[in-house]
Amino acid sequence: PSLLLLDSSSSLLFSLLLAQLPVFTSASPVPPRRTGDMDRLSNQTKSLMKLTQELLREHAFESDVEPHRFRSLPEMSNRSANDLNNLELKPTLSQLHADLKLYEHHFEWLNRVSKKHHHPALPKLVEVIKEMKSLINLLHRQMQRVDAPKLTPATPSLPPHLPYQFDVLQSSQELLHHFKLFCDWAIRAFISLKPKITPAQ
Amino acid sequence: MPGLLSSSGSLTVIWFLSWSLCRSSAQIWTNEVSDVQYGRLDSNVTLACGKSQIKIPVVWHLDDSQVLPWHKVTSDGSLVLLHVNLSAQGNYSCYDNHGLLLHSIKLRLGYPPGLLSISCQVPNHTLVRCSWKESVKTFLPVEYNASLRGNGKAWQPCLVDAAHKYCDVEHPSFWQTIHTLNVTATNALGSESTAARIKLDKLLKPDPPESVLVNEVEGFPNRLNISWNFPSSWALRDAFPLVFHIRYRPHGSQYWSEVYPEESPVVIFDALAGHPHQVQVRARDELDAESQWSDWSPLRYGRPWEDPATSEPPEDHFPDYVFPFNTKPETSTSKSLKPVLQDDGNLGLVILLVLFAVVIIATVLSLFFVVWVKQRRREHVTKQELTSMVKMKSMPI
Repeated sequence: PSLLLLDSSSSLLFSLLLAQLPVFTSASPVPPRRTGDMDRLSNQTKSLMKLTQELLREHAFESDVEPHRFRSLPEMSNRSANDLNNLELKPTLSQLHADLKLYEHHFEWLNRVSKKHHHPALPKLVEVIKEMKSLINLLHRQMQRVDAPKLTPATPSLPPHLPYQFDVLQSSQELLHHFKLFCDWAIRAFISLKPKITPAQ
Repeated sequence: MPGLLSSSGSLTVIWFLSWSLCRSSAQIWTNEVSDVQYGRLDSNVTLACGKSQIKIPVVWHLDDSQVLPWHKVTSDGSLVLLHVNLSAQGNYSCYDNHGLLLHSIKLRLGYPPGLLSISCQVPNHTLVRCSWKESVKTFLPVEYNASLRGNGKAWQPCLVDAAHKYCDVEHPSFWQTIHTLNVTATNALGSESTAARIKLDKLLKPDPPESVLVNEVEGFPNRLNISWNFPSSWALRDAFPLVFHIRYRPHGSQYWSEVYPEESPVVIFDALAGHPHQVQVRARDELDAESQWSDWSPLRYGRPWEDPATSEPPEDHFPDYVFPFNTKPETSTSKSLKPVLQDDGNLGLVILLVLFAVVIIATVLSLFFVVWVKQRRREHVTKQELTSMVKMKSMPI
């Protein structure tokens, strides 16, 4: 009988502990998994931005030439700081996904051209593309969770022919600077969208 | 005849009166209202005596009987001022040989505007302020017209404060690679446009943090509590986090210690007991590590807590003395501190942590207990089995 008592008391203790677990896990009103997704997205974008800045810094040259090579990069002129307060979850995620796909096309093109010209930034460029693909997948999963539609990405219009290494350098500077600013905006967008993720989503 | 004489006399009087009236009224007119003519310094300036070509000899006067600068008068009565300098400015009047005012001109001299030297500040993501300096002192009123555009998009007006020579663009399209600011300076002698290409992300530099306070922490002679506010110009908070940099040193020391906290307040643990400390804070956009740090906030002073039982009477002011310690230079430390737990503020969190620790310990103990009990039971069962086996063996078959 004493053994039986011990058995029952220990299982009671376990039950109590198990019962307490949800109390700890539900301390915040929003399930952490969902807001954690947004954190993962902004962290992944942060590391992509850092990588882009390193590339820009390592292969920097002063260029005040008005950018002109890429006509089909995502439009940033209509994005202002105040708009970040009024972002809607689904359209923003869809747009960011479409934009990233467009950048992916541009970076893969730059990678091909850089290979031809033996550009020294090549290994890091490959890393940027890898990180970008990972962000696109992460974003796609988040879109599926909230039922955000997938937009048809625009067809990229890429410079036809870059005869000199200087052209490659100039194009990579332009693309990287453009992408760095896109990442900056995207991180702020993910931060702004974080409170808009509801438990149902 | 006398009638004729008297009539001619009265005509003369009328003519004289009208002439003198005309003369006096013309004098008033030249002083109050006149045409303004602008001329370029160091060049020859021609002043015409009215619109029509006057063939009669004319006399020119500058203001009230001033001597005319180096000049010549042409056959048509125009005054040509040669190689003018600023002293040639004034009201010029031309008269016919009867002293009748024919024309009056106000002459102002200067230069046309030159190129401007433009610099821009970006104190947050919603404001660009560009100011300029003139490369040429024009001596004449100048009007400015300024606009900004990004990557070949539409021009956005930049609102000009001509007196202070700057313009503001509110809500620029910040996330574009390059912007062009165009400022056109115009005065009576001409106009000049200056274009400047700027990268807003490189220019982003918040204003310094505000309301920096340095307080003692009661009971701790080596601690200081430092608090501050976001710069008031950094209005958007959530999506625009800032990172901060604090530096502090005992007053008189030349070596700073540093911390990089994410939020206010922060407690430093290595203050020098009994000495006033200097503290400064600056801020930078957290996401873009290549944006600029703000300027340092003004120096703030604070003294760590001193035990009233042991301390000497406190000094009312911070003397400008040389730091009295002749020890090895203190190394500048660079630490990243999370906000330090405050005694009252985070009591709930401490309780929660203690509770959690208790639960973990209880779980581990109970696991040990269960394992121990099961072991005991198994041993007990084995013992019983052995006893029964021995018993069975000893039983006669």
